[in-house]
Amino acid sequence: MGSLLFLSSGLFLGWTLGANDASNVFGSAVGSRMLRFSTAALLCSVFVILGAVTAGAGASGGLGELGAVNALAGSFTTALAAAATMTWMTRAGLPASTTQAVVGAIVGWNWFSGSITDLSQLSRIVATWVLSPLLAALFAAGLYRLVVAGIRRTRPHLLRLDANLRVGLILAGVFGSYSLGANNIGNVMGVFVPASPFRELSIAGLVRLSGEEQLFLLGAIAIAVGVFTYSRRVMTTVGGSLMTLSPLAALVVVVANALVLFVFSSQQLSAFVVALGLPPIPLIPVSSSQAVIGAVLGIGLLQGARGVRQIRWGVLGRIASGWLTTPVIAALVSFVLLFVVQNVFGQQVYRPVAYQLSPPALVRLAARGVPTEALTMDREPVVGAVRFRDWLRRQARFGPEREALVLEIAEIRPLQIHPEGLRALDATALPPAYRQVVAALEGRSFLHPWQLADVLARQSPLWSLPSAAPAPAARRHQERLALVIDTFAAADPAPDHQPAAPSLPSRQQEG
Amino acid sequence: MSTPPLFGKTRFLEAQIDEFLDKVSEGAIYFQRGIELLLERGVVEETERKLEQLMQLKERANELRRAVVNTLYTEMLIPDFRGDVLRLLTHLYALLDATKNVFQELLIGYTGAIEGAEAVAEVKELVAVVAQSLQEAVRGARAFFRHPEAVRDHINHIRVYESEADAITLRLMKALFASDRPLERKLLARDALEVIDGLADRAEEISDELSILAIKRVL
Repeated sequence: MGSLLFLSSGLFLGWTLGANDASNVFGSAVGSRMLRFSTAALLCSVFVILGAVTAGAGASGGLGELGAVNALAGSFTTALAAAATMTWMTRAGLPASTTQAVVGAIVGWNWFSGSITDLSQLSRIVATWVLSPLLAALFAAGLYRLVVAGIRRTRPHLLRLDANLRVGLILAGVFGSYSLGANNIGNVMGVFVPASPFRELSIAGLVRLSGEEQLFLLGAIAIAVGVFTYSRRVMTTVGGSLMTLSPLAALVVVVANALVLFVFSSQQLSAFVVALGLPPIPLIPVSSSQAVIGAVLGIGLLQGARGVRQIRWGVLGRIASGWLTTPVIAALVSFVLLFVVQNVFGQQVYRPVAYQLSPPALVRLAARGVPTEALTMDREPVVGAVRFRDWLRRQARFGPEREALVLEIAEIRPLQIHPEGLRALDATALPPAYRQVVAALEGRSFLHPWQLADVLARQSPLWSLPSAAPAPAARRHQERLALVIDTFAAADPAPDHQPAAPSLPSRQQEG
Repeated sequence: MSTPPLFGKTRFLEAQIDEFLDKVSEGAIYFQRGIELLLERGVVEETERKLEQLMQLKERANELRRAVVNTLYTEMLIPDFRGDVLRLLTHLYALLDATKNVFQELLIGYTGAIEGAEAVAEVKELVAVVAQSLQEAVRGARAFFRHPEAVRDHINHIRVYESEADAITLRLMKALFASDRPLERKLLARDALEVIDGLADRAEEISDELSILAIKRVL
């Protein structure tokens, strides 16, 4: 129940997303009276849920790399900060993007918790804020040319064209809704993934929903509620704000928007691009509002001077200024709210992560090719990634990738395989064969999570992941490992006592 | 007239609009043939049959217009253009109605107004030009539905035919008033020429309407 209370801010964020962003996929169809609102809302809700549950994992991982909000109260506050920023900006008449609000709020959490904001990931995300409208403009311009050429060639009757446009708007809306669910569920529930309160659920042995999928389902339902309760007004007023669109242009805009969302959330497409020898597509939640604006501009610019005159540049300027202010405001709101929730309500808004360059960590680092001569071996644990990184930088200078590797290997999370944990594991959906391997380790302790992973992999091939494993298998492996680690992790070090010494490696500890 | 559900609806409506345009086009042909008969043979059974045919056409066209507009609005089709379609069909129907009225007027009140073989030949020429302007209006309307880029050509043709009709009318009037016919005959003939020429003016009004509608339709 308490977990659900914490999730409420995510659901609120989902509701605002549904209320605002459904207009990006069905707004022009409803606004131009080509489609009834009830039909649009129903289709949008069903396909948002489908997209979120079946394909939401890709883009939500993108936010996880930016900052793993690791305590439920922290996730609650981060989502609340994003939702509050969105609501406030919308009420103030400023165009806001859910993606930017969420990214800003996560950066605020990183700032507050002393975690490192992955600058390369942040720059990738910021790059998509520029790239997604550009891509949408290109898609829209290309599609518009193609469709117009097709119409000129086939010369359909006005009524036939209208009927085809109607079907096209429904199909594009459905595709857009699916892509919106797949891509933007990361905004709504992404921050809750590392601190998910759900365990894998099996319904009559037929349908299996992982904790993450249950989270996404809940978030998608919140989006659907937002669509039904509040998007009508947004849908009927959308379209005319930036440029008046014909139904054909509206269709092209919706398709371009859906394509952009799809490009940034499809794991299969990214894998295909890699197979072609190109760099992978970053799987990141992108703003559908920005994509729509890019697509409208693409069509406007395609029409030359006439189109340029039709664009309301003042409105565009306001939107662009919102793109800069939203993340900054969200980060500030997030920081302040985290402070309040931690100090006024006494909630743990982040689980402090400690780091230690223990001997086994140094051995592993050396094995991975990191020069360890300059590193001091006998260090006490340091709480907080930023502090540890600062300490590390005083010892030696590494490139960003090596630095990330040192942080990953030096992270400590004392684990003890105890009978209570094994009993708790029995109640989860972890298959018995996997549980047996864990049970064989009863009584053993580990300082670093990777040590447990190594031992499990040595014990049984079930727990070892081939390097060429497909992405879904790797994800399942990570989920199972996270479940075991969460079950056997010792109490977290207190945030205000630092450096908090974790229990020293016992006699039985690995190393 | 009931419309078939869902998938056949578009095709059915397209057929209704096409039939409506056919009726207007047929009206122009009957009008031309009727006037020719009137000029050659006067009020005979065949001439009166042409009026009857025009009346039946008008009735059917009215039925079709109402059915099309009704379906467009009740089924919420072509939200951007249904007002334009309504206006276009109403104008074309008014043109067909005017064609019938002009023929009826000539049949009843202007028998023998045009005298002399030369004048008859010239009036036939005028009627042919007017009928062409009506046909171009119908072609322009068809193009609006299927090929809006071509509307411009038809508009241009209508304007050319209209000014040609004006030129023939002027020539006929000058010849008429230069003749030694009694004044009342001259006035009767003038009125007959004016009502015939007036049809080309109405076609031109439709061309003005079409030019605006086509701009909206062009992609």
